[in-house]
Amino acid sequence: MTLVKEAPARPAGKRPAAPAAGRRGRRRENLAGYLFMSPWIAGFLLLTAGPMIASLYYAFTRYNLFTPPEWVGFDNFTTMFQDPRWQKSVEVTLKYVVVATPLKLLLALGVALLLAQKRRGQGVYRAAFYMPSLIGASVSVGFVWRALFSDDAVVDRTQKIFGLDVGGWIGNPDYVIYALVALSIWQFGAPMVIFLAGLKQVPQELYEAAEVDGAGPLRRFWNITLPMISPVLFFNVLLESIHAFQVFGSAYVVSDTRCGPADATLVYTCYLYQKGFKEAQMGFASAMAWTLVIAVALVTAVLFWSQKKWVHYEEAAK
Amino acid sequence: MGTSRNVERRTVLKVAGASVATVGLGATTACGGESGSGDGNVTLRYAWWGGEPRTIAMKKAIALFEKKYPKIKIKPEFTDYEAFWEKFQTQASGGNPPDVFQNAVGFLRKYDKRGVLMDLKPQADAGNLDLKNFRNGVLANGQVDGKQIGVPVGANTMALVIDLKAFQKAGVEPKFGWTWDEYFAALQTIQDKLKIAGDTGYFAIMYLYDLYLRQNGKAFFTDSDLGFTEDDLTQWWEDGYKRVRSGLVADPKKIEQAKPKSGLSAGLAASEFTWDNFSIRYEGEGESDYGLAPIPTTDGKDTGQYLGSLMMSAFSGTKHPKEVAQFISFMVHDPEVGKIMGYDRGILATTEQYDAFKPTDPNNKGVAAYEDEVAKAGVLGKITPHPSGADVIEAAFLRIGGEVSQGKTKPADAAKTLFSEAKAAFAG
Repeated sequence: MTLVKEAPARPAGKRPAAPAAGRRGRRRENLAGYLFMSPWIAGFLLLTAGPMIASLYYAFTRYNLFTPPEWVGFDNFTTMFQDPRWQKSVEVTLKYVVVATPLKLLLALGVALLLAQKRRGQGVYRAAFYMPSLIGASVSVGFVWRALFSDDAVVDRTQKIFGLDVGGWIGNPDYVIYALVALSIWQFGAPMVIFLAGLKQVPQELYEAAEVDGAGPLRRFWNITLPMISPVLFFNVLLESIHAFQVFGSAYVVSDTRCGPADATLVYTCYLYQKGFKEAQMGFASAMAWTLVIAVALVTAVLFWSQKKWVHYEEAAK
Repeated sequence: MGTSRNVERRTVLKVAGASVATVGLGATTACGGESGSGDGNVTLRYAWWGGEPRTIAMKKAIALFEKKYPKIKIKPEFTDYEAFWEKFQTQASGGNPPDVFQNAVGFLRKYDKRGVLMDLKPQADAGNLDLKNFRNGVLANGQVDGKQIGVPVGANTMALVIDLKAFQKAGVEPKFGWTWDEYFAALQTIQDKLKIAGDTGYFAIMYLYDLYLRQNGKAFFTDSDLGFTEDDLTQWWEDGYKRVRSGLVADPKKIEQAKPKSGLSAGLAASEFTWDNFSIRYEGEGESDYGLAPIPTTDGKDTGQYLGSLMMSAFSGTKHPKEVAQFISFMVHDPEVGKIMGYDRGILATTEQYDAFKPTDPNNKGVAAYEDEVAKAGVLGKITPHPSGADVIEAAFLRIGGEVSQGKTKPADAAKTLFSEAKAAFAG
């Protein structure tokens, strides 16, 4: 870093460098920069950009990994839209996104509000609530979840105390998706931390002024906190929805690699994985992947468009 | 000061450049040196799927081989069944599958069609591989279109695993030649007397449906297609769903959550259809005693059974075909290996190994006795190599059967779905 910041020094007494020499020096520095970046650049080209371009090509081919890809135009896309399992996977994913994202953000915001107040042992609480985000994506937690929500396990027994005898959630096609939702909500730590940072930015004077005017806590939250943190809220909504669209690990593990029962946890990426790696239909899987990219881009665009209506940046407030 | 910084920078660059170069070199050496056989030593990659006991036994067997053939080293690779085929598919498509690997009948045509499997006949002719002394004609399981692309290591057949205590308590005794009606009557008795389901979900098991079809003069697969009609399957699933509703077959929701335990060892039902050599797992998992019972029949005689088997296959592009053949030959014939492996992969396929291994525990004894009885009953038919795509269809059969049992799909729609998915699988 320091190398880049400092201009190349010259021995004293020599005449000032000609512009060409300066350019050469800068070029050399750029070269150094690129050289240091080269592992990343190589990684990006080989592991990200290359495969993406390849997959875009495969999306228009029939490709079983063994025989060379055969150009089929939009065939993959038309079969995909007519495929009932694909439709099911879209349905399951949308359900998951629509239910999990708001709940997770609500919980993150709620806990952030509680933790924003000055308390003793604040750090411990923050760490404790953040912890699940660190381990939540692991396979082992998927297994724990399976055990928790199985028949006659903790959740089932607790339900029964309240007179709800629905059995375990894991084997039940109508409930199992909510076990995944619960797993997602449980990992609210990351958005919580971002909310916390946002809450810190809200100027205290605003609250004091509002209090003088006789505004209650609810009104203060609604009229001050929410508008003031709306950029942060927007960021979290964006990030978490994109995440939710890509859910895979939890569905794959909780359902014992089958994305079931009865395709009830067949999230989009799970079906993509099955098509690509179990059935060796790489063309179809690539078409699915690009459809997801476009869908997520659309959702992002809609969110960006909608932010004009509800996100307040400080400049706008002035 | 400024100068020294400049010098420093150059040095840094040089060092960086040098290390990049070294890494590059390292990479090339690593690539080239993979199976360097300058000193006559050969390394073969050998991959299989299975649980921990199989892996422990396999490593012992490999050590024995390396002792006898000091110039051949075996590099083991192992995972569970699902992961194995996903990995294998990727490796094989990249031209880098293991030299030798475990195989099964559902994958023979698939990978033969893709040119991955080596015909072992020439190696046998050259004297590197012994294809004699296979029991009950199982060698034919590895033959496709006149080529020997798999060598059986064991033989197994479908069986009904029963909870002995439950059957005893209910006073039901399965016999050779019993019919499906008698079987379902037995499930009814079990339900009446013990208040548990009788079966874990027979109608979603492709290999059992195959037996049922064979009893009726058909088969699940022909050489290139399905060997039954949509109506056949609709009927099979309708009956199955009826029995789930009436409680004769266990609640699929509970079966699902018991996984990876089987519904039988979890005590959710009193019997389960599966391959006979799988029965060994139940003793470890469950709390009851388990035994093997015969497959119900349609006419009181024909069970439709045949001997299936796990096999060893070789990669067509291996650099060391001779060593590969020697390794396979050793693994299927050596009596010591037979003693080590036992019936983990089915009843040992060659007479040398079969004679060498004398089972002492009740599980292995039970499996041996069962297959003896089946062989004596003279019901064994011939296996047909499954068409390419059979593996995908088996997974679909299990999944769609599960949807039927959960009441999520009507049997007629389910059968239609299976047929359309099968069409795609055969084409792929």
